[in-house]
Amino acid sequence: MDEAGLITAAQQGRVDAFNELVLVYQQQVYNLAYRILGDPASAADATQEAFISAYQNLHRFRGGSFRSYLLRIVSNGCYDELRRRKRRPTTSFEDFGEDMDEEANPFLVNGRERPEEYTERQEMAHVIQAGIETLPPDQRVTLVLSDVQGLSYQEIAEATDVSLGTVKSRLARARGKLRDYLQSQGELLPARYRL
Amino acid sequence: MRGLLAGQMRRREQRDELLSAYLDGQLSAVVRARLEAQLAADPELRAELEALRRTVSLVRDLSPVPVPHNFILSQAMVARPRPARPSRSLQLWAAPVLTAATAIVSLLFVIVLAGDLLLSGMGGRALAPAAEPRLESEAPQAAMVPSPVTQEVEAVVEVEKAVAEDTASAASTEAPSEPAPQATVEMERYAAGEAPAGGGADVEETVPPAPAAPAATPTPAARLTPEVTQPAALGIDGGPTEESAAPAPTAAPPVVEEAAAPAPTAEPTPGQAAEAVPRASGEEEPGAAEVERVAPEGQVTQPAASLRWRILEGVLGLTALGLALATIWAWRARRR
Repeated sequence: MDEAGLITAAQQGRVDAFNELVLVYQQQVYNLAYRILGDPASAADATQEAFISAYQNLHRFRGGSFRSYLLRIVSNGCYDELRRRKRRPTTSFEDFGEDMDEEANPFLVNGRERPEEYTERQEMAHVIQAGIETLPPDQRVTLVLSDVQGLSYQEIAEATDVSLGTVKSRLARARGKLRDYLQSQGELLPARYRL
Repeated sequence: MRGLLAGQMRRREQRDELLSAYLDGQLSAVVRARLEAQLAADPELRAELEALRRTVSLVRDLSPVPVPHNFILSQAMVARPRPARPSRSLQLWAAPVLTAATAIVSLLFVIVLAGDLLLSGMGGRALAPAAEPRLESEAPQAAMVPSPVTQEVEAVVEVEKAVAEDTASAASTEAPSEPAPQATVEMERYAAGEAPAGGGADVEETVPPAPAAPAATPTPAARLTPEVTQPAALGIDGGPTEESAAPAPTAAPPVVEEAAAPAPTAEPTPGQAAEAVPRASGEEEPGAAEVERVAPEGQVTQPAASLRWRILEGVLGLTALGLALATIWAWRARRR
Protein backbone atom coordinates (compact mmCIF):
# COMPACT_ATOMS: atom_id res chain seq x y z
CA MET A 1 0.00 0.00 0.00
CA ASP A 2 1.36 3.44 -0.89
CA GLU A 3 1.55 6.39 1.51
CA ALA A 4 -1.79 7.88 0.46
CA GLY A 5 -3.48 4.50 0.93
CA LEU A 6 -1.93 4.08 4.36
CA ILE A 7 -3.06 7.56 5.36
CA THR A 8 -6.61 6.87 4.20
CA ALA A 9 -6.68 3.55 6.05
CA ALA A 10 -5.31 5.23 9.17
CA GLN A 11 -7.94 7.95 8.88
CA GLN A 12 -10.51 5.17 8.94
CA GLY A 13 -9.12 4.00 12.26
CA ARG A 14 -6.58 1.40 11.24
CA VAL A 15 -3.69 1.77 13.66
CA ASP A 16 -1.67 -0.89 11.85
CA ALA A 17 -1.69 1.24 8.69
CA PHE A 18 -0.58 4.25 10.68
CA ASN A 19 2.21 2.20 12.27
CA GLU A 20 3.65 1.56 8.84
CA LEU A 21 3.93 5.30 8.42
CA VAL A 22 5.49 5.53 11.88
CA LEU A 23 8.22 3.12 10.86
CA VAL A 24 8.95 5.17 7.74
CA TYR A 25 9.17 8.53 9.50
CA GLN A 26 10.23 7.79 13.07
CA GLN A 27 13.94 8.33 12.30
CA GLN A 28 13.33 11.84 10.95
CA VAL A 29 10.87 12.76 13.65
CA TYR A 30 13.14 11.53 16.42
CA ASN A 31 16.21 13.23 14.94
CA LEU A 32 14.41 16.53 14.64
CA ALA A 33 13.31 16.26 18.28
CA TYR A 34 16.76 15.21 19.38
CA ARG A 35 18.54 18.08 17.61
CA ILE A 36 16.09 20.62 18.94
CA LEU A 37 15.86 19.35 22.49
CA GLY A 38 19.36 17.94 22.86
CA ASP A 39 18.70 14.84 24.93
CA PRO A 40 17.50 11.34 23.98
CA ALA A 41 14.83 10.94 26.66
CA SER A 42 13.03 14.21 25.89
CA ALA A 43 13.35 13.48 22.18
CA ALA A 44 11.77 10.03 22.63
CA ASP A 45 8.90 11.50 24.64
CA ALA A 46 8.35 14.24 22.08
CA THR A 47 8.43 11.69 19.25
CA GLN A 48 5.90 9.37 20.86
CA GLU A 49 3.60 12.27 21.70
CA ALA A 50 3.90 13.58 18.17
CA PHE A 51 2.85 10.26 16.64
CA ILE A 52 -0.09 9.92 19.01
CA SER A 53 -1.17 13.47 18.23
CA ALA A 54 -0.67 12.89 14.50
CA TYR A 55 -2.92 9.83 14.61
CA GLN A 56 -5.60 11.47 16.72
CA ASN A 57 -5.68 14.54 14.46
CA LEU A 58 -5.36 12.67 11.20
CA HIS A 59 -8.87 13.70 10.15
CA ARG A 60 -7.47 17.25 9.82
CA PHE A 61 -4.82 16.17 7.33
CA ARG A 62 -6.05 17.36 3.95
CA GLY A 63 -3.32 16.02 1.74
CA GLY A 64 0.05 17.55 0.87
CA SER A 65 3.30 16.43 2.41
CA PHE A 66 2.78 13.91 5.19
CA ARG A 67 6.37 14.45 6.28
CA SER A 68 5.70 18.18 6.70
CA TYR A 69 2.55 17.32 8.66
CA LEU A 70 4.54 15.12 11.05
CA LEU A 71 7.49 17.49 11.37
CA ARG A 72 5.14 20.33 12.05
CA ILE A 73 3.54 18.43 14.92
CA VAL A 74 6.84 17.43 16.46
CA SER A 75 8.25 20.95 16.00
CA ASN A 76 5.31 22.40 17.89
CA GLY A 77 5.76 19.80 20.62
CA CYS A 78 9.43 20.75 20.89
CA TYR A 79 8.56 24.45 21.04
CA ASP A 80 6.25 23.72 23.96
CA GLU A 81 8.93 21.69 25.68
CA LEU A 82 11.51 24.46 25.22
CA ARG A 83 9.07 27.03 26.63
CA ARG A 84 8.40 24.75 29.57
CA ARG A 85 12.14 24.37 30.17
CA LYS A 86 12.61 28.10 30.02
CA ARG A 87 10.10 28.48 32.82
CA ARG A 88 11.47 25.54 34.77
CA PRO A 89 15.08 24.83 33.88
CA THR A 90 16.04 21.20 34.47
CA THR A 91 19.27 19.33 34.23
CA SER A 92 19.82 17.83 30.83
CA PHE A 93 20.65 14.16 30.42
CA GLU A 94 23.74 15.31 28.62
CA ASP A 95 25.05 16.61 31.91
CA PHE A 96 25.16 13.03 33.13
CA GLY A 97 27.24 11.92 30.16
CA GLU A 98 24.39 9.90 28.71
CA ASP A 99 24.61 11.46 25.32
CA MET A 100 25.35 9.41 22.25
CA ASP A 101 28.51 7.38 22.46
CA GLU A 102 29.75 4.28 20.73
CA GLU A 103 28.60 1.86 23.38
CA ALA A 104 25.13 3.29 23.63
CA ASN A 105 24.78 3.83 19.89
CA PRO A 106 26.69 1.20 17.96
CA PHE A 107 25.01 2.47 14.77
CA LEU A 108 27.18 5.55 14.95
CA VAL A 109 30.36 3.62 14.34
CA ASN A 110 31.49 4.11 10.78
CA GLY A 111 33.39 1.02 9.81
CA ARG A 112 35.75 2.88 7.49
CA GLU A 113 36.95 5.55 9.92
CA ARG A 114 39.75 5.11 12.42
CA PRO A 115 38.96 5.22 16.13
CA GLU A 116 40.50 8.66 16.60
CA GLU A 117 38.51 9.99 13.67
CA TYR A 118 35.38 8.62 15.22
CA THR A 119 36.25 10.27 18.54
CA GLU A 120 36.89 13.60 16.82
CA ARG A 121 33.60 13.35 15.00
CA GLN A 122 31.85 12.68 18.25
CA GLU A 123 33.52 15.68 19.86
CA MET A 124 32.55 17.84 16.95
CA ALA A 125 28.94 16.58 17.10
CA HIS A 126 28.87 17.58 20.77
CA VAL A 127 30.15 21.05 19.98
CA ILE A 128 27.70 21.54 17.12
CA GLN A 129 24.83 20.32 19.25
CA ALA A 130 25.89 22.68 22.01
CA GLY A 131 26.01 25.49 19.44
CA ILE A 132 22.50 24.63 18.18
CA GLU A 133 21.22 24.76 21.73
CA THR A 134 22.45 28.34 22.11
CA LEU A 135 20.02 29.46 19.40
CA PRO A 136 16.58 30.85 20.15
CA PRO A 137 13.82 28.24 19.59
CA ASP A 138 12.52 29.65 16.29
CA GLN A 139 16.01 29.85 14.76
CA ARG A 140 16.89 26.45 16.20
CA VAL A 141 13.87 24.73 14.66
CA THR A 142 14.47 26.45 11.31
CA LEU A 143 18.15 25.47 11.22
CA VAL A 144 17.43 21.84 12.11
CA LEU A 145 14.61 21.56 9.60
CA SER A 146 16.82 23.02 6.89
CA ASP A 147 20.31 21.69 7.55
CA VAL A 148 19.64 18.48 9.48
CA GLN A 149 16.37 17.42 7.88
CA GLY A 150 17.04 18.94 4.48
CA LEU A 151 13.63 20.61 4.07
CA SER A 152 13.20 23.31 1.43
CA TYR A 153 12.33 26.89 2.40
CA GLN A 154 8.77 26.26 1.30
CA GLU A 155 8.44 23.12 3.42
CA ILE A 156 9.89 24.92 6.43
CA ALA A 157 7.46 27.80 5.91
CA GLU A 158 4.58 25.30 5.92
CA ALA A 159 5.87 23.35 8.89
CA THR A 160 6.47 26.41 11.04
CA ASP A 161 3.58 28.49 9.74
CA VAL A 162 5.65 31.51 8.71
CA SER A 163 6.45 33.30 5.47
CA LEU A 164 9.33 32.41 3.15
CA GLY A 165 11.03 35.69 4.04
CA THR A 166 10.91 34.80 7.73
CA VAL A 167 12.39 31.38 7.01
CA LYS A 168 15.23 32.97 5.05
CA SER A 169 15.91 35.50 7.76
CA ARG A 170 15.77 33.01 10.64
CA LEU A 171 17.99 30.56 8.83
CA ALA A 172 20.61 33.20 8.04
CA ARG A 173 20.71 34.38 11.63
CA ALA A 174 20.89 30.83 12.96
CA ARG A 175 23.76 29.96 10.64
CA GLY A 176 25.56 33.19 11.43
CA LYS A 177 25.27 32.62 15.19
CA LEU A 178 26.36 29.02 14.91
CA ARG A 179 29.34 30.09 12.81
CA ASP A 180 30.30 32.65 15.45
CA TYR A 181 29.90 30.01 18.15
CA LEU A 182 32.12 27.53 16.35
CA GLN A 183 34.72 30.21 15.66
CA SER A 184 34.66 31.11 19.35
CA GLN A 185 35.50 27.50 20.20
CA GLY A 186 38.69 27.89 18.16
CA GLU A 187 41.42 25.60 19.42
CA LEU A 188 38.90 23.35 21.20
CA LEU A 189 37.74 22.02 17.87
CA PRO A 190 39.55 19.15 16.19
CA ALA A 191 41.96 20.64 13.62
CA ARG A 192 40.15 19.27 10.61
CA TYR A 193 36.85 20.78 11.75
CA ARG A 194 38.06 24.30 12.50
CA LEU A 195 36.41 27.06 10.54
CA MET B 1 29.56 54.02 19.78
CA ARG B 2 26.67 51.76 20.52
CA GLY B 3 24.92 52.96 17.37
CA LEU B 4 28.04 52.22 15.37
CA LEU B 5 28.20 48.66 16.73
CA ALA B 6 24.49 48.16 16.10
CA GLY B 7 24.99 49.41 12.57
CA GLN B 8 27.88 47.00 12.04
CA MET B 9 25.84 44.11 13.42
CA ARG B 10 22.92 45.00 11.23
CA ARG B 11 25.19 45.12 8.16
CA ARG B 12 26.67 41.75 9.12
CA GLU B 13 23.22 40.23 9.49
CA GLN B 14 22.25 41.54 6.07
CA ARG B 15 25.44 40.11 4.60
CA ASP B 16 24.79 36.75 6.30
CA GLU B 17 21.29 36.70 4.91
CA LEU B 18 22.65 37.30 1.45
CA LEU B 19 25.39 34.68 1.82
CA SER B 20 23.02 32.13 3.41
CA ALA B 21 20.50 32.51 0.59
CA TYR B 22 23.36 32.32 -1.90
CA LEU B 23 24.45 28.98 -0.43
CA ASP B 24 20.91 27.65 -0.87
CA GLY B 25 20.59 28.99 -4.41
CA GLN B 26 17.76 31.31 -3.33
CA LEU B 27 19.02 34.56 -4.86
CA SER B 28 17.68 36.04 -8.05
CA ALA B 29 20.06 36.06 -11.01
CA VAL B 30 20.69 39.79 -10.72
CA VAL B 31 21.48 39.75 -6.99
CA ARG B 32 23.61 36.65 -7.36
CA ALA B 33 25.66 38.21 -10.14
CA ARG B 34 26.21 41.35 -8.05
CA LEU B 35 27.26 39.28 -5.02
CA GLU B 36 29.64 37.16 -7.06
CA ALA B 37 31.26 40.30 -8.35
CA GLN B 38 31.73 41.51 -4.78
CA LEU B 39 33.13 38.13 -3.72
CA ALA B 40 35.66 38.27 -6.50
CA ALA B 41 36.84 41.66 -5.33
CA ASP B 42 36.64 41.19 -1.56
CA PRO B 43 38.72 38.42 0.11
CA GLU B 44 37.16 39.17 3.51
CA LEU B 45 33.70 38.53 2.11
CA ARG B 46 35.00 35.32 0.52
CA ALA B 47 36.32 34.18 3.94
CA GLU B 48 32.94 34.88 5.50
CA LEU B 49 31.17 32.92 2.84
CA GLU B 50 33.59 30.05 3.37
CA ALA B 51 33.03 30.05 7.16
CA LEU B 52 29.30 29.97 6.64
CA ARG B 53 29.53 27.21 4.06
CA ARG B 54 31.67 25.18 6.47
CA THR B 55 29.19 25.67 9.28
CA VAL B 56 26.29 24.47 7.17
CA SER B 57 28.35 21.56 5.97
CA LEU B 58 29.22 20.51 9.54
CA VAL B 59 25.55 20.54 10.54
CA ARG B 60 24.53 18.60 7.44
CA ASP B 61 27.22 16.03 8.14
CA LEU B 62 25.93 15.29 11.61
CA SER B 63 25.27 11.59 11.83
CA PRO B 64 21.61 10.71 12.16
CA VAL B 65 20.78 9.62 15.65
CA PRO B 66 19.32 6.12 15.76
CA VAL B 67 15.90 5.82 17.36
CA PRO B 68 16.06 4.24 20.82
CA HIS B 69 13.02 2.08 20.02
CA ASN B 70 10.14 1.87 17.59
CA PHE B 71 7.39 4.38 18.17
CA ILE B 72 4.54 2.26 16.82
CA LEU B 73 1.22 2.91 18.45
CA SER B 74 -0.91 0.37 20.24
CA GLN B 75 -4.69 0.44 20.36
CA ALA B 76 -4.42 1.27 24.04
CA MET B 77 -2.22 4.29 23.34
CA VAL B 78 -4.60 5.84 20.87
CA ALA B 79 -7.73 4.81 22.75
CA ARG B 80 -6.39 6.17 26.02
CA PRO B 81 -7.73 9.63 26.60
CA ARG B 82 -5.10 12.30 26.42
CA PRO B 83 -3.87 13.54 29.78
CA ALA B 84 -6.61 15.65 31.24
CA ARG B 85 -4.79 18.87 30.76
CA PRO B 86 -6.74 21.94 29.81
CA SER B 87 -5.91 23.24 26.38
CA ARG B 88 -3.17 25.80 26.05
CA SER B 89 -5.57 28.58 25.14
CA LEU B 90 -7.81 27.74 28.11
CA GLN B 91 -4.81 27.84 30.42
CA LEU B 92 -3.84 31.20 28.99
CA TRP B 93 -7.13 33.02 29.45
CA ALA B 94 -8.49 31.21 32.49
CA ALA B 95 -6.06 32.80 34.94
CA PRO B 96 -6.67 36.47 34.03
CA VAL B 97 -10.43 35.97 33.77
CA LEU B 98 -10.55 34.26 37.16
CA THR B 99 -8.43 37.03 38.64
CA ALA B 100 -10.86 39.65 37.36
CA ALA B 101 -13.85 37.64 38.60
CA THR B 102 -12.27 37.29 42.03
CA ALA B 103 -11.63 41.02 42.18
CA ILE B 104 -15.21 41.86 41.19
CA VAL B 105 -16.83 39.42 43.61
CA SER B 106 -14.51 40.50 46.44
CA LEU B 107 -15.37 44.13 45.75
CA LEU B 108 -19.10 43.30 45.82
CA PHE B 109 -18.58 41.43 49.06
CA VAL B 110 -16.84 44.41 50.63
CA ILE B 111 -19.53 46.80 49.37
CA VAL B 112 -22.34 44.62 50.70
CA LEU B 113 -20.56 44.14 54.02
CA ALA B 114 -19.89 47.86 54.36
CA GLY B 115 -23.45 48.68 53.35
CA ASP B 116 -24.84 46.25 55.90
CA LEU B 117 -22.65 47.60 58.70
CA LEU B 118 -23.43 51.19 57.75
CA LEU B 119 -27.20 50.68 57.52
CA SER B 120 -27.41 48.64 60.71
CA GLY B 121 -25.33 51.28 62.47
CA MET B 122 -27.52 54.11 61.17
CA GLY B 123 -30.73 52.24 61.93
CA GLY B 124 -29.74 51.95 65.57
CA ARG B 125 -28.36 55.42 66.18
CA ALA B 126 -28.84 58.02 63.54
CA LEU B 127 -32.37 57.26 62.47
CA ALA B 128 -34.01 56.74 65.84
CA PRO B 129 -33.39 60.26 67.18
CA ALA B 130 -34.59 61.65 63.89
CA ALA B 131 -37.86 59.88 64.37
CA GLU B 132 -38.42 61.24 67.86
CA PRO B 133 -39.45 64.82 67.19
CA ARG B 134 -41.77 63.73 64.45
CA LEU B 135 -43.62 61.39 66.72
CA GLU B 136 -43.73 63.94 69.48
CA SER B 137 -45.30 66.51 67.27
CA GLU B 138 -47.44 64.01 65.47
CA ALA B 139 -49.51 62.75 68.35
CA PRO B 140 -50.78 66.07 69.73
CA GLN B 141 -51.39 67.34 66.24
CA ALA B 142 -53.49 64.41 65.39
CA ALA B 143 -55.25 64.57 68.72
CA MET B 144 -56.19 68.27 68.58
CA VAL B 145 -56.57 69.15 64.91
CA PRO B 146 -58.59 66.67 62.99
CA SER B 147 -56.85 66.58 59.69
CA PRO B 148 -58.46 65.14 56.58
CA VAL B 149 -56.62 62.00 57.26
CA THR B 150 -57.95 61.92 60.79
CA GLN B 151 -61.42 62.46 59.49
CA GLU B 152 -60.97 59.61 57.14
CA VAL B 153 -59.76 57.49 59.93
CA GLU B 154 -62.72 58.55 62.03
CA ALA B 155 -64.94 57.30 59.31
CA VAL B 156 -63.08 54.06 59.36
CA VAL B 157 -63.41 53.92 63.10
CA GLU B 158 -67.11 54.57 62.78
CA VAL B 159 -67.44 51.64 60.48
CA GLU B 160 -65.42 49.57 62.84
CA LYS B 161 -67.63 50.67 65.68
CA ALA B 162 -70.70 49.67 63.76
CA VAL B 163 -69.19 46.26 63.36
CA ALA B 164 -68.15 46.26 67.00
CA GLU B 165 -71.67 47.16 68.08
CA ASP B 166 -72.97 44.19 66.24
CA THR B 167 -70.61 41.93 68.00
CA ALA B 168 -71.00 43.82 71.28
CA SER B 169 -74.73 43.26 71.29
CA ALA B 170 -73.99 39.58 71.44
CA ALA B 171 -71.01 39.72 73.75
CA SER B 172 -71.65 42.76 75.99
CA THR B 173 -72.70 40.62 78.90
CA GLU B 174 -69.56 38.62 78.94
CA ALA B 175 -67.01 39.99 81.42
CA PRO B 176 -66.52 43.31 79.71
CA SER B 177 -63.61 44.53 81.81
CA GLU B 178 -61.50 41.44 81.55
CA PRO B 179 -60.16 41.73 78.06
CA ALA B 180 -59.04 45.28 78.53
CA PRO B 181 -56.37 44.64 81.16
CA GLN B 182 -55.31 41.59 79.23
CA ALA B 183 -54.92 43.63 76.15
CA THR B 184 -53.12 46.31 78.08
CA VAL B 185 -50.70 43.75 79.33
CA GLU B 186 -50.29 42.62 75.80
CA MET B 187 -49.65 46.17 74.79
CA GLU B 188 -47.09 46.72 77.50
CA ARG B 189 -45.41 43.50 76.74
CA TYR B 190 -45.11 44.33 73.06
CA ALA B 191 -44.18 47.89 73.77
CA ALA B 192 -41.40 46.62 75.97
CA GLY B 193 -40.54 43.86 73.56
CA GLU B 194 -40.25 46.27 70.69
CA ALA B 195 -38.06 48.64 72.58
CA PRO B 196 -34.72 47.06 71.72
CA ALA B 197 -35.64 46.58 68.09
CA GLY B 198 -37.22 49.90 67.34
CA GLY B 199 -35.33 51.97 69.90
CA GLY B 200 -36.42 52.46 73.49
CA ALA B 201 -36.92 56.17 73.12
CA ASP B 202 -39.43 55.66 70.37
CA VAL B 203 -41.62 53.45 72.45
CA GLU B 204 -41.59 55.85 75.32
CA GLU B 205 -42.55 58.64 72.99
CA THR B 206 -45.29 56.79 71.24
CA VAL B 207 -46.86 55.05 74.16
CA PRO B 208 -48.07 58.15 76.13
CA PRO B 209 -50.75 59.15 73.63
CA ALA B 210 -52.42 55.82 74.12
CA PRO B 211 -53.03 56.16 77.87
CA ALA B 212 -54.46 59.57 77.02
CA ALA B 213 -57.43 57.64 75.76
CA PRO B 214 -59.27 56.64 78.90
CA ALA B 215 -60.63 53.50 77.44
CA ALA B 216 -57.18 52.16 76.74
CA THR B 217 -58.84 49.62 74.58
CA PRO B 218 -56.89 46.89 72.96
CA THR B 219 -57.67 48.39 69.59
CA PRO B 220 -55.34 51.36 69.84
CA ALA B 221 -52.92 49.33 71.83
CA ALA B 222 -52.88 46.59 69.30
CA ARG B 223 -52.54 49.06 66.51
CA LEU B 224 -49.97 51.00 68.42
CA THR B 225 -47.57 48.18 68.65
CA PRO B 226 -46.71 48.02 64.97
CA GLU B 227 -46.25 51.73 65.12
CA VAL B 228 -43.18 51.09 67.14
CA THR B 229 -41.72 49.35 64.18
CA GLN B 230 -42.50 52.40 62.15
CA PRO B 231 -40.03 55.01 63.41
CA ALA B 232 -37.20 54.02 61.15
CA ALA B 233 -39.45 54.39 58.16
CA LEU B 234 -40.84 57.62 59.50
CA GLY B 235 -37.42 58.99 60.05
CA ILE B 236 -36.29 58.10 56.61
CA ASP B 237 -39.25 59.00 54.52
CA GLY B 238 -40.66 61.88 56.43
CA GLY B 239 -44.28 61.00 57.03
CA PRO B 240 -46.62 58.22 58.03
CA THR B 241 -49.08 59.07 55.29
CA GLU B 242 -46.62 58.45 52.49
CA GLU B 243 -47.04 55.14 50.85
CA SER B 244 -43.32 54.57 50.63
CA ALA B 245 -42.88 55.34 54.26
CA ALA B 246 -43.53 51.82 55.37
CA PRO B 247 -42.51 49.25 52.85
CA ALA B 248 -42.27 46.34 55.25
CA PRO B 249 -45.37 46.28 57.49
CA THR B 250 -48.36 46.67 55.26
CA ALA B 251 -50.75 47.56 58.05
CA ALA B 252 -48.53 50.25 59.48
CA PRO B 253 -49.55 53.52 57.74
CA PRO B 254 -53.23 53.45 58.67
CA VAL B 255 -52.31 52.17 62.08
CA VAL B 256 -50.45 55.30 63.02
CA GLU B 257 -53.39 57.36 62.00
CA GLU B 258 -55.77 55.17 63.88
CA ALA B 259 -53.63 55.19 66.94
CA ALA B 260 -53.78 58.94 67.03
CA ALA B 261 -57.34 59.22 65.84
CA PRO B 262 -59.21 57.05 68.34
CA ALA B 263 -57.90 59.16 71.17
CA PRO B 264 -60.34 62.06 70.65
CA THR B 265 -63.14 59.82 69.50
CA ALA B 266 -62.85 57.42 72.36
CA GLU B 267 -62.44 60.14 74.95
CA PRO B 268 -65.74 62.03 75.43
CA THR B 269 -68.59 59.79 76.30
CA PRO B 270 -68.71 56.80 78.56
CA GLY B 271 -71.07 55.31 76.06
CA GLN B 272 -68.41 55.29 73.48
CA ALA B 273 -66.01 53.86 76.01
CA ALA B 274 -68.55 51.26 76.86
CA GLU B 275 -68.95 50.58 73.23
CA ALA B 276 -65.30 50.31 72.83
CA VAL B 277 -64.90 47.86 75.65
CA PRO B 278 -67.47 45.41 74.41
CA ARG B 279 -65.96 45.81 71.04
CA ALA B 280 -62.73 44.90 72.58
CA SER B 281 -64.31 41.95 74.26
CA GLY B 282 -65.89 40.93 71.02
CA GLU B 283 -62.70 41.33 69.19
CA GLU B 284 -60.53 40.16 71.96
CA GLU B 285 -59.42 37.03 70.29
CA PRO B 286 -58.88 38.54 66.88
CA GLY B 287 -57.35 41.63 68.48
CA ALA B 288 -54.96 39.61 70.55
CA ALA B 289 -54.25 37.49 67.55
CA GLU B 290 -53.55 40.62 65.64
CA VAL B 291 -51.16 41.76 68.29
CA GLU B 292 -49.53 38.39 68.23
CA ARG B 293 -49.37 38.44 64.49
CA VAL B 294 -48.61 42.03 63.66
CA ALA B 295 -46.07 42.71 66.32
CA PRO B 296 -43.91 39.70 65.56
CA GLU B 297 -44.21 40.58 61.91
CA GLY B 298 -42.96 44.01 62.70
CA GLN B 299 -40.10 42.43 64.54
CA VAL B 300 -39.49 39.85 61.90
CA THR B 301 -39.06 42.38 59.12
CA GLN B 302 -35.73 43.52 60.49
CA PRO B 303 -34.33 40.07 61.33
CA ALA B 304 -35.60 38.85 57.96
CA ALA B 305 -33.88 41.70 56.23
CA SER B 306 -30.72 41.19 58.21
CA LEU B 307 -30.93 37.47 57.50
CA ARG B 308 -31.06 38.31 53.81
CA TRP B 309 -27.99 40.47 54.27
CA ARG B 310 -26.21 37.63 56.06
CA ILE B 311 -27.09 35.14 53.32
CA LEU B 312 -25.93 37.56 50.64
CA GLU B 313 -22.71 38.22 52.51
CA GLY B 314 -22.17 34.51 53.06
CA VAL B 315 -22.74 33.66 49.41
CA LEU B 316 -20.50 36.47 48.19
CA GLY B 317 -17.80 35.63 50.71
CA LEU B 318 -17.76 31.95 49.80
CA THR B 319 -17.82 32.75 46.09
CA ALA B 320 -14.89 35.12 46.49
CA LEU B 321 -12.97 32.48 48.42
CA GLY B 322 -13.70 29.80 45.83
CA LEU B 323 -12.71 32.09 42.98
CA ALA B 324 -9.51 33.06 44.78
CA LEU B 325 -8.54 29.39 45.13
CA ALA B 326 -9.41 28.72 41.48
CA THR B 327 -7.33 31.74 40.46
CA ILE B 328 -4.30 30.46 42.35
CA TRP B 329 -4.73 27.08 40.72
CA ALA B 330 -5.08 28.64 37.25
CA TRP B 331 -1.92 30.71 37.60
CA ARG B 332 0.03 27.70 38.81
CA ALA B 333 -1.27 25.58 35.94
CA ARG B 334 -0.30 28.30 33.51
CA ARG B 335 3.22 28.45 34.87
CA ARG B 336 3.57 24.68 34.54
